[in-house]
Amino acid sequence: MVSGILDGLWLVPALPLLGVVLNGILALFVERPLLLPAAGPPSAAAGHGHGASYRTLVAFIAPGVVGAAFVVALLCVLSLAAAPPEGRIFVQVLFPWIQAGAFTAPVAFQLDPLSSVMALVVTGVGFLIHVYSVGYMSHERAFARYFVYLNLFMFAMLILVLADNYLLMFVGWEGVGLCSYLLIGFWYEKQSAADAGKKAFVVNRVGDFGFLLAMFLIFWTFGSVSYTEVFAKAPLLSGDGTLTTGLATAITLLMFLGAAGKSAQIPLYVWLPDAMEGPTPVSALIHAATMVTAGVYMIARSSALFLLAPDTMMVVAVIGAATAIFSATIGICQTDIKRVLAYSTVSQLGYMFLACGVGAFTAGIFHLTTHAFFKALLFLGSGSVIHALSGEQDMRKMGGLKKRVPVTFLTMFAATLAIAGIPGFSGFFSKDEILWKSFSSSMGSPVLWVVAAAAAGITAFYMFRLVFLTFFGTSRMDPEVEKHVHESPWTMTLPLSILAVLSVIGGFLGIPAVLGGAFGVPNLFEGWLEPVFRRAAPAAAHAAEEAAHHSAALEIGLMALSVGIALFGIGLAYFLYRARTEKPDEIARKWPTVYGVVFHKYYIDEFYEWAVVRRVVRGADWLWQMFDARFIDGIVDGAADIVRSAGDRIRRLQGGIVGGYAFSLLAGAVLLVGYILYRSIVQ
Amino acid sequence: MSLGNLASVGYFLPELTVTATILLLILMHVVTKSPRSNAFGFLSLVGVGAAILLSGIVPAGAGKSIFEGMAAYDGFAVFFKVLTALATLVVIFMTMDSREMDGRSQAEYYIFLLSTLLGMFLLSSATDIVMLYLSLELVSIPSYLLAGYFKGRERSTEAAMKYVVFGATASGVMIYGFSFLFGLTGTTQIAEIGRSLAAGKATLPMLLASVMVAVGFGYKIAAVPFHMWSPDVYEGAPTPATAFFSVGPKAAGFAVLVRFYYTVFAAPDPGSALWRLTSAVDWPLLFAALSAVTMTVGNLVAVKQDNVKRLLAYSSIAHAGYMLMGFVLLSPAGLKAILFYLVVYLFMNLGAFYVVILVSNATNGGEDISDFAGLGSRAPFAAVSLAVFLFALTGIPPFSGFIGKVYLFAEVINRGVYWLVVVAGLNSVVALYYYARIVRSMFLDEPTDTAAIAVPGVPRAMLLLMVAPTLILGVYWEPVARIASDSIRMIAF
Repeated sequence: MVSGILDGLWLVPALPLLGVVLNGILALFVERPLLLPAAGPPSAAAGHGHGASYRTLVAFIAPGVVGAAFVVALLCVLSLAAAPPEGRIFVQVLFPWIQAGAFTAPVAFQLDPLSSVMALVVTGVGFLIHVYSVGYMSHERAFARYFVYLNLFMFAMLILVLADNYLLMFVGWEGVGLCSYLLIGFWYEKQSAADAGKKAFVVNRVGDFGFLLAMFLIFWTFGSVSYTEVFAKAPLLSGDGTLTTGLATAITLLMFLGAAGKSAQIPLYVWLPDAMEGPTPVSALIHAATMVTAGVYMIARSSALFLLAPDTMMVVAVIGAATAIFSATIGICQTDIKRVLAYSTVSQLGYMFLACGVGAFTAGIFHLTTHAFFKALLFLGSGSVIHALSGEQDMRKMGGLKKRVPVTFLTMFAATLAIAGIPGFSGFFSKDEILWKSFSSSMGSPVLWVVAAAAAGITAFYMFRLVFLTFFGTSRMDPEVEKHVHESPWTMTLPLSILAVLSVIGGFLGIPAVLGGAFGVPNLFEGWLEPVFRRAAPAAAHAAEEAAHHSAALEIGLMALSVGIALFGIGLAYFLYRARTEKPDEIARKWPTVYGVVFHKYYIDEFYEWAVVRRVVRGADWLWQMFDARFIDGIVDGAADIVRSAGDRIRRLQGGIVGGYAFSLLAGAVLLVGYILYRSIVQ
Repeated sequence: MSLGNLASVGYFLPELTVTATILLLILMHVVTKSPRSNAFGFLSLVGVGAAILLSGIVPAGAGKSIFEGMAAYDGFAVFFKVLTALATLVVIFMTMDSREMDGRSQAEYYIFLLSTLLGMFLLSSATDIVMLYLSLELVSIPSYLLAGYFKGRERSTEAAMKYVVFGATASGVMIYGFSFLFGLTGTTQIAEIGRSLAAGKATLPMLLASVMVAVGFGYKIAAVPFHMWSPDVYEGAPTPATAFFSVGPKAAGFAVLVRFYYTVFAAPDPGSALWRLTSAVDWPLLFAALSAVTMTVGNLVAVKQDNVKRLLAYSSIAHAGYMLMGFVLLSPAGLKAILFYLVVYLFMNLGAFYVVILVSNATNGGEDISDFAGLGSRAPFAAVSLAVFLFALTGIPPFSGFIGKVYLFAEVINRGVYWLVVVAGLNSVVALYYYARIVRSMFLDEPTDTAAIAVPGVPRAMLLLMVAPTLILGVYWEPVARIASDSIRMIAF
């Protein structure tokens, strides 16, 4: 067991919590009085008046605590890395939380290679986005409130990834859900933002229901919710028949329902595109880089259970692949820059689930990491564009921005190359790993490969469509907007640049053996995570390592093929949006039905509205008017009447005459004696 | 073995501290020219605070019988000493903040208060029936004086008068019961009495004794039908004293009830962790019936009250009923549940009374529910605090009262007394009605006077100090639960 510096692990979530408290005090006692109508006209005065100094304070505290958390996390991980691979697990028990009978759940944190990757991604990317937010939200009136939520999110997310048991993970899980709700609806005066927040919350509840049931089943089966105990017992219990395949399938399917809600997979993905109503840095942090990947983390964390349920694995893989291609096609027709990225996120999350479903957990987490870099960058870049265009999000009203916002353009272009899977960029390594595993793993199949590769082509297409529409060609901006176009301040461009560097080089952490082996370059990422998954399921660890049956030539060939598909997508985008810009409209006119269906996102929202929402509302209406108002209220009112009249009668016994009181005392004593006597005689 | 008198002094420090403080107060009263000064309050605070600090912790197995078997020094006694002293501490703050007490002599008030506290200390540790009776009277007599503290006020005088008559009757019946026990066994030591009774068979005098003692203790904890005094006294007494009666003497009453019955009429069962009855007197069933009647009457009558002080009086009768459930189970978990409940009850009940005092200060002595109308806008902090206390008293999560009820109800179910838990459950629903009435008035009714009520710093801090545990113990109660289960250790000798 390593310790020393690791004893400071609790600081990692505690520091953002400190930020919540400090910023919360500022928000409540300095900012809110300024925003109240009594304090003056609700203009920007609050921001630039005498209260402005608190904003500087907030701007230092909020990113500061997250940066400090990153440093602590980094030191902890380095200290963990000093231990031999098998000893890289550290559990810090802070205090017992719930003890009831056989059930115990401590507040305890676990740092192992998997949670350290997550903690570093969350705090690292989180820090950059906090810095970016200082610039992006500088005109916002509720500045401190925003950072309270953002810090609170960091706290909850770190609880989620560092928890050492499912219950504590669930606390973080709900916490990030709450923050997501608060931040999507941050501009709650806007009806669509408030609705989007509500939608995200409700859809997530469906998933949470699955997670809860899974947790109950886990406790019922294993008698514990602690990771170490559950995963250690899983092979034993499955050996002696207590944990049947059916039970394992039930647990993992319910978990996957939770993951599908949080990570926006079919059929619960509908909330994520609407979540774009929130401020753009929020979309980058919560709805691209961190929170939405919690489902992937949960499955990777529970790999020991998932590997015992082959049916679930298949479901995960199929849903992942289906989501990847389905939402990629929706991305083609979207015109709102953030919505394209939202569907792209759903699609990329699908890849991660595909990886988990074929047993390639390492590849899934690797893609999670690189995706965090390049998708955060894309969102922040789009935020920078929106910022430059005074809030315009429609790509049809952009164009030609390449020279006007050069840093934004260059960094976003790097991220686009990464997501498109151009060799050398980070997305290439991680996506290709997934494609290869979906083909070669014993749980994979060529069909999955074909779907995933096709989705990769579409991805390259819609991403380049986005870049061409935004940065190239001639300007389609409103003249009024065009006058104010400007590059963003350094607080925004610096995070962009750092993320761009990571998006470019991040992939070299996980060079596949077939490429790196020849030069003696190891796959660092896989080597780091391997102990986690081997410990989780020693026998099944190499289920995904079926590469031996396939030749290196096949792997190289498929790699080249997928790059070719991506290049084809880019070429098509160039043809349609650079060379022959009139073509897209022609196509839309030629096949109006197909175009309409895709443009309207396959009418899924409308279908849900009709099949679920309206029915629930109608059923609730009946329950309210018939069942509640008539039946229940009738019983309640009747009972209340009885109670009231009984009270009235008993009250009269208290006459106020002290002699009566003494009588009641003596009468009571006599009654009791009589009662006891009677009982002893009867016996 | 019990310690001699000199050797016992070291285990008697809290009592000595309180005694010294009382003497100092008397001295000060003689010397000073301004008996209305707050100095008396501050001196009492220091004395009670010191008593708490000197109480210490009794490790397992370190309990002792002191003063030749007169009293016990064990975890159980210390728990109740700290609890009653804490209640006294809060009540001293209340008194200083209450406008009711303005312009009256303060000295005697604090002398009575601390004498009662001394009585409660002794009551929770007494192990000899003579000692027990004396300490019960030491609790009662200053209480009569406190109830009648407003000499000029008719209600106050009437309350004191009724209290005296009723109290005298109850202790008369009780001491009559004691005389039976002494006659049967020839000893005044409760442990000896217990052993002696266990050896013999059940007889009619034994039955009579068990019931007569129940009358005395039932009067102290205000269990129906021995509760008649409490609504009148609670309404007539100064509000801080009412708050004090509803927590302090009631807790001490539970202490002596548990110690007496679990020593005299029951013994630890060597086979299990439970206690077993040592005589044929089925007193648990008797008290189970009392418990059910107590909570039902308390709640039903509270429904019809418009005076908040009187309402809280009835509600505190109901709470005694809930706590009695833990008493009849003969199990450590049942006792633990009572102790835990007393802790949460201390904060939520005293907190509720604190707000009553603040409202009464601001409305010229108004104590009716209608005086609370619009408090939500007139004094938001106090109103929200009161809402928290009332919902906690109802037993709604996530407040501490809910956890208190969970422990009680769970153990009742665990021991298979299902009918009692059904009664208690129904009662909780009734309770919601009258507590929520106050909340509704505070937040939904329009006030006649809309002026804001200022809550000064000290009461604000005190409210916060009572809201905090009421909220925290509803979420994280493990440490207090551990203290409660450690504190059920009574010495057996």
